[in-house]
Amino acid sequence: MSNFKDAQNKAHPNKSNTLMSALIVILILNVGIQIWLLYTGLNNALEDNKDIALPAFIASAVLFLISFCWLYFLPMGYKKTGKK
Amino acid sequence: MSDQSNQDPHWKEDFPVERTEATKVSRRDFARFLCLVSGGLAVGSGYVAVKANFFPPEKVQGEHFICKADSVPTGGTRSFVLAGSDIPYILVKLETGHWRAYEQKCTHLSCAVYYKPGSSQIVCPCHEGFFDAMTGEVIAGPPPRPLPALEVVVKGEDIYVRAGGTELAKK
Ligand code: FES
Repeated sequence: MSNFKDAQNKAHPNKSNTLMSALIVILILNVGIQIWLLYTGLNNALEDNKDIALPAFIASAVLFLISFCWLYFLPMGYKKTGKK
Repeated sequence: MSDQSNQDPHWKEDFPVERTEATKVSRRDFARFLCLVSGGLAVGSGYVAVKANFFPPEKVQGEHFICKADSVPTGGTRSFVLAGSDIPYILVKLETGHWRAYEQKCTHLSCAVYYKPGSSQIVCPCHEGFFDAMTGEVIAGPPPRPLPALEVVVKGEDIYVRAGGTELAKK
């Protein structure tokens, strides 16, 4: 069975390097947003505005899911051998 | 399933023999680490949400006697703790004659704050945080929130505190 992973693994390193950088930039972006969400949720909860905490958690969880699925697209590096 | 056995075990991907196959190992690890951090932050937010919604901090119950009114000079302070809790509070008699009671923990990083006589400001020495002694609001510095307050009740010569000072101070 051949899927996009095989093609990706055989792609030129220049290509997968770019892809790798893009993936990492998005992950860092996600983590940045999550830090902000946690900070805001916590500060508002301590100030007795607990309405913020739940949406912040949901958003954070969604971002985590995105980050997690994102890992599927990680290039596995150049494979010389034909087999997976 | 049968061709699984002649494949390399999964971990060998991270320890390849060929150098060209190793070019992405550390970045792959980094990306995975970022994902782990992301999960940690999501769990943290969840903890905050659960704590805020289901385990709110306990309110001070009832009224508590602190001291006699004449034992605190004008512009003076007195620190106290309420029975059954270990949060330090500070009772302030302002130059204007108002009584105020605040938590003595700075809302930035919990340093002990003190009243600066004559300035009607409560000062946090750690990172130069300043609070308005009348309302508890932040005037300057890093603290993100006003000081939590208690309501002070003067009954003749006796000083009592009870919950609800925050709303009062905001008025
Ligand atoms: S702990 Fe009070 S200003 Fe930082």
